[in-house]
Amino acid sequence: MNMNEESDEASARRIQVRFVTKLNAPFIVPSTAIAIPADLTRFGLSSLVNALIQSNDADYQPEPFDFLIDGEFVRMSLEQFLLAKGISAERILEIEYTRAVAPRKEEDPCLHDDWVSAVDGSSSRFFLTGCYDGLGRVWKGAGLCTHVLEGHSDAITSVSIINPEGLETVTVATASKDRTLRLWKLNTEEPVNQPMRVRAYKILRGHKSAVQSVAAQTSGEMVCSAAWDCTINLWQTNDFNAEDDLVSKKRKIGDQVEDSQLEGEAFTTLVGHTQCVSSVVWPQRESIFSASWDHSIRKWDVETGKNLSDIFCGKALNCLDIGGEGSVLIAAGGSDPVIRIWDPRKPGTSAPVFQFASHTSWVSACKWHDQSWFHLLSSSYDGKVMLWDLRTAWPLSVIESHSDKVLSADWWRSDSVISGGADSRLCISSDIPVK
Amino acid sequence: MKGKKKTMPKNDVHEEEAPLPSDKVPSPSVSDSDSDYEDSSADDDESSVSLDSQSESEFEEGSPENGRSGDLEAEGTESSVDEDIVNGEGSGNESSDLHQPGAESDSSEDEVAPRNTIGDVPLKWYEDEPHIGYDIKGKKIKKKEKQDKLDSFLANVDDSKSWRKIYDEYNDEVVELTKDEIKLVRRLLKNQAPHSDFDPYPDYVDWYKWEDAKHPLSNAPEPKRRFIPSKWEAKKVVQYVRAIRKGTITFDKPKEEDGPYLLWGDDSGSTEKSNHLAYIPAPKQKLPGHDESYNPPLEYIPTQEEINSYQLMFEEDRPKFIPKRFTSMRSIPSYENAMKESFERCLDLYLCPRVRKKRLNIDPESLKPKLPSRKELKPYPITCYIEYKGHEDAVTSISIEASGQWMASGSSDGTVRVWEVETGRCLRRWEVGEAVSCVSWNPLPDMHILAVSAGQDVLLLNTGLGDEELQNQIKELLWIDSSTASDDSGDKAPSVSWLKDDKHMGLRLRHFKTVTAVEWHRKGDYFSTVMPTGESRAVLIHQLSKKLTQKLPFKLHGLAVRSTFHPSRSIFFVCTKKNVRVYDLLKTKVIKKLDTGLREASSIAVHPGGDNLIVGSKEGKMCWFDMDLSSKPYKILKCHPKDINNVIFHRTYPLFASCSDDCTAYVFHGMVYSDLNQNPLIVPLEILRGHTSSNGRGILDCKFHPRQPWLFTAGADKLIKLYCH
Repeated sequence: MNMNEESDEASARRIQVRFVTKLNAPFIVPSTAIAIPADLTRFGLSSLVNALIQSNDADYQPEPFDFLIDGEFVRMSLEQFLLAKGISAERILEIEYTRAVAPRKEEDPCLHDDWVSAVDGSSSRFFLTGCYDGLGRVWKGAGLCTHVLEGHSDAITSVSIINPEGLETVTVATASKDRTLRLWKLNTEEPVNQPMRVRAYKILRGHKSAVQSVAAQTSGEMVCSAAWDCTINLWQTNDFNAEDDLVSKKRKIGDQVEDSQLEGEAFTTLVGHTQCVSSVVWPQRESIFSASWDHSIRKWDVETGKNLSDIFCGKALNCLDIGGEGSVLIAAGGSDPVIRIWDPRKPGTSAPVFQFASHTSWVSACKWHDQSWFHLLSSSYDGKVMLWDLRTAWPLSVIESHSDKVLSADWWRSDSVISGGADSRLCISSDIPVK
Repeated sequence: MKGKKKTMPKNDVHEEEAPLPSDKVPSPSVSDSDSDYEDSSADDDESSVSLDSQSESEFEEGSPENGRSGDLEAEGTESSVDEDIVNGEGSGNESSDLHQPGAESDSSEDEVAPRNTIGDVPLKWYEDEPHIGYDIKGKKIKKKEKQDKLDSFLANVDDSKSWRKIYDEYNDEVVELTKDEIKLVRRLLKNQAPHSDFDPYPDYVDWYKWEDAKHPLSNAPEPKRRFIPSKWEAKKVVQYVRAIRKGTITFDKPKEEDGPYLLWGDDSGSTEKSNHLAYIPAPKQKLPGHDESYNPPLEYIPTQEEINSYQLMFEEDRPKFIPKRFTSMRSIPSYENAMKESFERCLDLYLCPRVRKKRLNIDPESLKPKLPSRKELKPYPITCYIEYKGHEDAVTSISIEASGQWMASGSSDGTVRVWEVETGRCLRRWEVGEAVSCVSWNPLPDMHILAVSAGQDVLLLNTGLGDEELQNQIKELLWIDSSTASDDSGDKAPSVSWLKDDKHMGLRLRHFKTVTAVEWHRKGDYFSTVMPTGESRAVLIHQLSKKLTQKLPFKLHGLAVRSTFHPSRSIFFVCTKKNVRVYDLLKTKVIKKLDTGLREASSIAVHPGGDNLIVGSKEGKMCWFDMDLSSKPYKILKCHPKDINNVIFHRTYPLFASCSDDCTAYVFHGMVYSDLNQNPLIVPLEILRGHTSSNGRGILDCKFHPRQPWLFTAGADKLIKLYCH
C-alpha cells in the first residue's frame, strides 16, 4: 500500500487500485494497491495486468482481460467510468478482472447442403443440427459428421437432444415443416468413418401446420412442440409398444428391408396462443414456457395444461430461453433487434429488466450459458452472433463468421458457440473462457 | 331709467304699504344700545353732509342708491335731509310715497304726525323748560315724566326687546327699531351701502357717445320703437312658448362632458375608426445612442480592420451606420445619403399601397388539426428487417397467405415465387412464361391456391402447402375435364376459356384481353378479374367450384382499373379511371357512384368495416371515401409526387398504406369509429424508404401482414422488403 506513495504526488490523475480475481493459478497478481493513470481503458488495464503476471511468470502468454468495478464492466476510460458511476477516486478501488469472453479460435465450418435452421449443443460429446434439406446431422466436432437423420420431407426447424448425457444411446427429437416430429436413437460412442444414416424410431403426428420448436423435459420422458397452428403439443418419448395408443406401421423400402416405425399422438395440447407459437422451453418438470407471434410469452402448467402467466412484449417473438440467475430469467428475442430479459420474480411489472439492442435485425436465437448466471448469446438475421453479459449493456464480443442470416445458435461444451445460418454453414467459435 | 322708475312703484305699492307703518323712525341715528356715541357723531357731520347729499339729490331725485359718496357714516343725517326735502316740497304722504319708495324712514315719519316743531335748534334751549317744544298747533308739548333710572333699568332688563329701543330726545319718546332697520344699521356699521340690492360699482354707460355723434347722418331723434317692446318678438316668443308646451321643441340634452381619457394612450384606435384612408403612423425610430454622436467616445469608432471586414460582408449584414469622429459640429459634412434616401422615400410613397392590408395575426400552427402523437399510435411498420431476394426483374405483385406464414410474389421476369415470411426463404418457384401482373392468395386459410394473372391468362396454382387431405381437396378443385373447356353463355366468342394446365398442375383461364388484376372473394370460391380493355366484359366474376364465369350484369362507364369485394357483404366495387361504382350483387343493382375527382385512379382498397374505402391515383393523390357521408371524398391526401401503385388497409390494425413510384411507401393511421357521428381519424405515421428506382418505377405493390402490423413492399428493384414495427 505504501510502495506507491511517491508516485501519487507525480500526477493528480492517478487512482489507487487493487486487482482481485477469481481466476486460478497463472492469472493471479499480487493483491497490493497500485496507482495507475486514470485515463486507462480496458486495453490499458489488460496490458497492465498481463505485465504484472509476466513479471512473476516468464512463460506466461498475454491474455485479454475484462474488468469489473462494483459488478459492472468497464467499457470506457477509468476516469469516465468513475465519473459516470459517481465512485470516489479517493479510496482504493478494487477492480476485479476476468478473462475476456471472446472466442480465441474459429474452427472449420461444418458445411451443409442447405440452410442450417437448428442446432443443439446440450451434449458435451456431440452436437446436433437441423437443415432445410430435411436432414438432421450429428457432429462430433468441427467437420466430423457421424450420423445423418433421414426421414423428414421438409425443412427441419428445431432439434433437441432429449437425454444429452445418455450412456450409449442418445435420444434426439427433430421438428419439421412437414408438420411432424421425429424421435431418433443414436449410438454416439461407436466409431464411424462414414456418416451413418439413421431412421426415426417414432414419428409424432398431430400438428396441422409447420412445427416451429421442440423442447424436451429434463427427465427425457416427454417432449413438447410448438407449431404454426397456434398450439403446443406434448408427446411421450418412450418406445414401448403400448399397442393401445401407439400404432405400429410397417414400411417397405424397395422390397427387401422391413422397417418398423412407431407413430405417436399428442399426449396433451396446450391451446391459448392466437398466432404461431415460435418457441418453447421446458426448464422444469412442471412448467413450459412458450413464445409466440401474438407478442406474448406464456407459462403453462404441465399437469393441468393451464396457462399460468403471460408476459406481453409488443413484438412478435422468435426465440426464448430460461436461465441466468436461479435459472428463472426469461430471455426472448423476436421481430426487432432487441433481446429482452424479464425477471418473473419481480412482482407487479411486466417490463423487461434488461434490454440489449446491438443487433440490427431480427433476433433468431438466444441462449443462456448453462453454468454462468450472466452470460448469454444471441444470433440475429444481421449475420452476427453476440455474447452478452448482464453486467454490461454492450456485447462482450461479436462473432461475424456468417455471411448471411444466422438462424440458430447454441453453446457447446460451455466454451464454444455453434451457429448455423442461411449461408449453409455451421460455425464453431471455441475457446471462450466462460467459467 | 325714468320709465323703470315709474313702472316699478305700480307693482310695489301694495307690498310697500305693509312695511311702511312699521318704519316709524325717520332718522334713527345708528345705535344699538349706546345711543350717546351715535348721536354725537351724527351731530358733528350734520351740516356738511347734508349739503352734499342735497346737491346730489337734486340730480338723482333723492334716490339713496346714487348718493352714497360721503354719507356713509350716518343714516340719521340723510334721513333728516330727506325729511327736509319732503317737508320743503310740501307734498302729501302719498306723493312722498310715490316719489320715495326707497326712503322708508321719511315715509314712516310722515305717517306719524311730527309733534315737535321747534326746528333745528339746540335742544339745550329747552332743557330747563317743562316742555320740549310746540306741536303744529302751537301748543306746548309737555315733557314726559322722567322715569326713575332704576325703574328704567329694570324695565330694560325685563324687556327682551329693550336693546332695540332708543330714546328720541327731540320728540321725547322711546322708539323701537324694526328688524329691517337694524339690518340697515348693521350694513352702515360695516361701511356698506345701506340696501343690499344696491350695486356700488355699476358698469359705466357713456350715454353721451355714440357712433356718429360727431357727424350724425340724421338728426332724427331715437324712434319710439327703440323703447317699446317689439310686437314681433312677442309673437315669436308666444310661438315658442306654444311649441314648447306642445312639445315640438325639445331642448338639447346637456352636452356630455368628456370623461377621463388616456392622455398617453395609443392613438391608433381613433385612426381606425374613420372610414377614409387611415393614418399609418410611421415606425418608431430607435433613439440615437452614443455611437451616433458626432463625437462619439473612442471605443465606438471601428478600427480600419473592422471597416475592411465590413466590406467582406453581405450588403444586408453590413452595419448601417459606422460611427465617425468629428472634432466640432462645424466639420460635419452634409449627409451623403440625403439624396438617395429622399429618392427612396419618394419611391416608397409612390409605391405605397393605398389600401391597408388586413393581416390576420394567426399562428399557423394553431390552424393545424390536433393529431395524436405517433407514439400513441404504435404499432406500425417502421424499419425494414427482412429482404426477399431472388426475382430477376421488377416484382409487380405480392400476396400474403391468410395465416401470414407465406407470401407469394409475381414478377415481370415471368416467375411466381412463394416465400417463407419468417426467414425470407424462397420455397417454390413457377415459370409462368409471361410477365406476371397480379398474384392473389386464396383468402381461406386451408386453401393454398394462388391466382396469378399473366398476360391474357389467369392461372390457379396449387402451392403444395398443407397436409395431404388438403392437397387432395385442392387437386380435386383444380381438376377440370378437358371436354368442358370453354364456357360462356354468350353469343359471341367466349370471353374466358377454362383450361387444364398440366405444366403447373393447375387451371388456366384464358381471357380475350390482358388481365391486370385478380381479386378473391372472402369465401374463396369466387374471384374477379379485370381487363381494362375488355369494354363491356372488362370485369368478370369466376366461380372456382363450378368453373363458371359471368360478366358483371351492369354497364361499365369508363375504363375499369380494379375491382374488389366488400369484406363482409355481397357488394362489389369497380374502380374506373374517374369514379368508383358500388354494386349489390344479390339485388343486381348499382348502389352508389363515388366521384373521385381524380384524373386516373390506379388502386382501391376497402376498409375491413366496409364503409370506408381509399382510392389511389396516378397523380399521387389518395382519396378516402366515407360511404355513409357522401359520394365525394372525405379526405384527399396528397403525399406522393409520383403515381400511387397500390393502396391497402390492414385487416385488424387501424392502418393503411400507399406505395408509389417515388420509391416510398406511406403508412397512415386510419381509425374508423363505430360511432357514426365521429369522422374517421387519419394520421400520417411513417414514410418507408429503402427501395431504389428502376426504369422510373418505384414500389409496385404493398401488402400488410394479415396478423402483424408489418408491411411488405415489392419494388421495381427486384426486392421485396418487410417493414416491421
